[in-house]
Amino acid sequence: MLGYILKRLLHAVPVALAVSVICFSLVQLAPGDPLAVVLPADASQETVDAVKAQYGLDRPLVVQYFIWLGNVVTGDFGKSIATGRPVLSEISNAIGYSLSLAFLASLMALIVGLSLGMLAGYTIGSPVDKVASAFAISGVSIPHYWLGIVLVVIFSVQLNALPAMGAGTNPDAGILERLRFMILPAVTLAAMPAGIVTRSVRALVAETLARDFVTALRAKGLTEVQIFGHVVKNSAPTALAVIGVQMGYLMAGSILVETVFSWPGTGLLLNSAILTRDIPLLQGTILVLALFFVAMNLIVDILQPLFDPRIKRI
Amino acid sequence: MPIGYDLKSGALAALGHTARKLSSWQVLRPAKHLACATALGLLMAHGAMAEGTLRVALTASDIPLPNGQTDQGAEGMRFMGYTVFEALINYDLSSADKPVTLVPGLASEWSVNPDDKTKWTFKLREGVTFHDGSPFNADAVIFNFDKIKDESAPQYDEKQSGQGRGRIPTVTGYTKIDDMTVEITTSAPDALIPYQIAWIVMSSPAAWEAAGSWDAFLNAPAGTGPFKVSEYVPRERAVLTRNDAYWDPERVPELDELVLLPVPDASARVAALRSGQVDWIEAPPADAMASLEAAGFEIVSNVYPHVWPWHFSMLEGSPWTDERVRKAANLAIDREGMKSLLGGMMLPAQGMVPPTSDWFGEPEFTVGYDVEAAKALMAEAGISKENPISVKAIISPSGGGQMQPILMNEYIQQNLAEIGINVEFDVRDWNALISNWRAGAKDPTTNGAMSTNSSYFSQDPFTSLMRHIDSRLVAPKGTNWGYYESAEADALIDQIRSEFDTTIQLEAIQSLHEHYVDNALFLFVAHDVQPRAISAKVKGFIPAQNWFQDLTPVSIEE
Amino acid sequence: MSIVNSEGPQTATPISSLPVTVMPRSVGYWQSVWQRLCKDKVSMICLISLILIICASFAAPLLTSYDPAIGSVIKRLKPVGTEGHILGTDELGRDMLTRLLYGGRTSLIMGFVPVFLALLIGGSLGTFAGFVGGRVNAIIMRTADVLFAFPSVLLAVAIAGALGAGVGNALVALTIVLVPPMIRITESATTQVRALDFVEAARASGAGNLTIIRVHVLGNILGPVLVYATSLLSVAIIMAAGLSFIGLGAKPPTAEWGLMLNTLRAAIYSQPLIAALPGVFIFIVSLSFNMLSDGLRSAMEVS
Repeated sequence: MLGYILKRLLHAVPVALAVSVICFSLVQLAPGDPLAVVLPADASQETVDAVKAQYGLDRPLVVQYFIWLGNVVTGDFGKSIATGRPVLSEISNAIGYSLSLAFLASLMALIVGLSLGMLAGYTIGSPVDKVASAFAISGVSIPHYWLGIVLVVIFSVQLNALPAMGAGTNPDAGILERLRFMILPAVTLAAMPAGIVTRSVRALVAETLARDFVTALRAKGLTEVQIFGHVVKNSAPTALAVIGVQMGYLMAGSILVETVFSWPGTGLLLNSAILTRDIPLLQGTILVLALFFVAMNLIVDILQPLFDPRIKRI
Repeated sequence: MPIGYDLKSGALAALGHTARKLSSWQVLRPAKHLACATALGLLMAHGAMAEGTLRVALTASDIPLPNGQTDQGAEGMRFMGYTVFEALINYDLSSADKPVTLVPGLASEWSVNPDDKTKWTFKLREGVTFHDGSPFNADAVIFNFDKIKDESAPQYDEKQSGQGRGRIPTVTGYTKIDDMTVEITTSAPDALIPYQIAWIVMSSPAAWEAAGSWDAFLNAPAGTGPFKVSEYVPRERAVLTRNDAYWDPERVPELDELVLLPVPDASARVAALRSGQVDWIEAPPADAMASLEAAGFEIVSNVYPHVWPWHFSMLEGSPWTDERVRKAANLAIDREGMKSLLGGMMLPAQGMVPPTSDWFGEPEFTVGYDVEAAKALMAEAGISKENPISVKAIISPSGGGQMQPILMNEYIQQNLAEIGINVEFDVRDWNALISNWRAGAKDPTTNGAMSTNSSYFSQDPFTSLMRHIDSRLVAPKGTNWGYYESAEADALIDQIRSEFDTTIQLEAIQSLHEHYVDNALFLFVAHDVQPRAISAKVKGFIPAQNWFQDLTPVSIEE
Repeated sequence: MSIVNSEGPQTATPISSLPVTVMPRSVGYWQSVWQRLCKDKVSMICLISLILIICASFAAPLLTSYDPAIGSVIKRLKPVGTEGHILGTDELGRDMLTRLLYGGRTSLIMGFVPVFLALLIGGSLGTFAGFVGGRVNAIIMRTADVLFAFPSVLLAVAIAGALGAGVGNALVALTIVLVPPMIRITESATTQVRALDFVEAARASGAGNLTIIRVHVLGNILGPVLVYATSLLSVAIIMAAGLSFIGLGAKPPTAEWGLMLNTLRAAIYSQPLIAALPGVFIFIVSLSFNMLSDGLRSAMEVS
């Protein structure tokens, strides 16, 4: 087991490096002089030279990459052009918001997905299955930025029941007050993963129920409740794995939803970095989000065999 | 009375340009509410001390920096610059009915040396302390000028310098005469110095020293203003609290707290107001106004010196170098149509200032809506709808004073397509648009654009007319973004600056404005009336005819 | 084994659940798949609505006399059902139906082109990698894996954000995102096919590599690729409109569903129905592609 974990960890290193290469190349991708995007427009010649030396911009690209990587590894992500604040502090301010939103959305998706998936899997072909499946495929197909707008119109504008934007203005707010702000964006975010979890669980349950061993268990006289236990044991690890990966997606893919709800997380940060063409901030945020995604995948990879003895990873 | 006072009121006669002739701010649609707000304001002034927290949704995407010479355009100055900090000279924002005048701020009086008109003496106000308890004195003034003017000073701050330097282009020196007196020297006699000085706000030198850097200063900022910063979370919120020790007892805030929240998205601002998360939103979208009023919110507005133009690039390759094209574009915009688009929340522009202003003069070219005349001019230039030209225009999705930029620009795009000008937009964040505007049309960040859509707040002849076309103030030295050069304009500018006789000065100002209109130097589109929507809980707000507003009389009634 | 669990874009039909049972397939097989699909009511409804929307979008100039870019401010934000404007008007008084039709063109092109390009580029690379194997295979597959390490939306936003706004840049970004999963599918199918007995037999009987690819490999991977590409179309359309929604795709005055959704946001208080309309179309198209993909898959699974 330890060997397996070690192997997965080692596997993750080249992936992380490759991710950093892509993030680094983003600056090269951006049209115009890379220096023009790193410096304020009216910088003096001395500043230009100083920054050139600091970033090693007169050196070959490969050297530049390693200088940049060295800075990143030591926690120096550069400074935001727009605000002049260190990129890392901008990101660390925002990441908690995105994380809590992604967590709540994953929880919602897991609960809804597991129950709908079970229901549908047990009743394949029935009207219940059809309704659940329709919900699931709608969740996967819905443009979530539009869903967000629709939810705002219904719950904030028409019913005036839930806040439409932001994370609240009262820093001393209790957990319930904070949750009120999270409900609409979390439901919006949860739509897609809920659909995906429902579909995978439905398929899994149906498959399990059709297996020989279930027939055998039934023949042995096990009650339906006991068989249900077996079904859960068989499908829960997959659902957990799916939701683990989904959480990575939610963190990274929240840019649209956070924009709709002005939620002060990494997505909104990314959006403002794009609007201001703040390349260091764009680069840093994307690197952190991508590494988070790699980490979530790694965790799922390591944990899955623990929950699911059927999976024998080499 | 010191000489400075006469001078000041003289210059202000020239400033009083908008509302005096404009039938008054009550002609505007929400006049009823305004009158209510004013009446309530009067009541409140005598009523019990109301307290509370006012939460304001800004159009900016980030909290204006609490460093002193803040960012985020005039909105930043309105809510952070002039709430927490102060200049030697303040604006009198206490009335909705008269144009805004200058009043003593951190300087109790000032005067120009009658023998050498390049030297100004400022007597500083006694007994003022910064929020950190350190005293305000001549050393503090010198420290703050060095902060933006002297690159070798340890407290020199590139960011604040970028914001402030361009405001005081003629100031060349400043010396401490004694602890409470400062002398300011200008490169040439400049009658407009008081306006310039009103832009430069004072941060606490002791707080900067204690912090060690301007970045660290943001966590413990200190000015002398009626509010002090008690919490600053970048991109999220700033909490300002009442400064009980403020030097002017009349302007100690009624509010306990003023919370600033950046909400660049207009519909998100409306949603926030409707759901009670904020009490006050800047620039509600036109489409939301009727429903907001129906829901019991007040739309407050007032005229103020402002213009919403396209600032043309006069560099080679820009089609706007052709005067016929500039005039045709000005004739192609249906401003009345745009006004209805904005729910009436604008005045059609015929120049940099409204025709009712003292500064307007008598230009020969009339800016209006005349498509046929526009087409004829375009035909002269060899352009038509069938044989169109393309222009690239920098615009922003939001920003203080930008009104409803996307909507208005799309409308302009439609209008200009009619006469053979196809517009491509380069949409940028408001702060990014401003940095490019400072950097100038030649800067690489301009990216081939031929105009920029920065709205201008015209507080005085310098900011409203002179700085945009003075050939000696081309970017990045000044804010002549488009590199316009004209000997005639330069001569008029020099005359305005050196003329201390206000009647002659006014004539020169009028000639300069005529120069603008007759050469169609900008695309003159609209004057803002600065709509904001406030909840019924907000009492005592008096909308001054200005981009800046006084929040000290505002209170919240729970 | 791939380095990450990620399956690229979040499609309704993940790569792992694709029907990749490899066997020789005849013309009769495809005929029977089509017949089964025709019997599936849901798939047929989806197919017909898609065909209708696509045709209407591309025949827009024949169906409406309004210009999508020009409107009249006097007639702005008229409600649905107004005479002369069945679906009302937008914030600049432009006819909504006209803008939705023309917008469909842009949105559909922005969804179709990246999937088509990804099919072409990813398909050839994957088939090549699977057929050649060895080191070439490893290089191609590991490169694709690196892109898998990025969540698809983030990668699209990153590339489009760095390149700057514009339909062209958005197409480049989306294509880059969609290529890796195409490589993965075609590679795995090709590798399986290559090892099969009948392919060995064909090789022994002197069939050239191209013939083997054409007859056996393509015949076998067509099914899963078709199912996957259909659900990918749904994702591509949502992502393309999403890029426009945050200002990274189409620019005004172009009619495009995502951009329309964005510019109409200020109208959610006065005309919520009109403000929501462009999203309804994105939803219908995306839903139809996903259901069609489901229908195709079950039509293929029945043996």
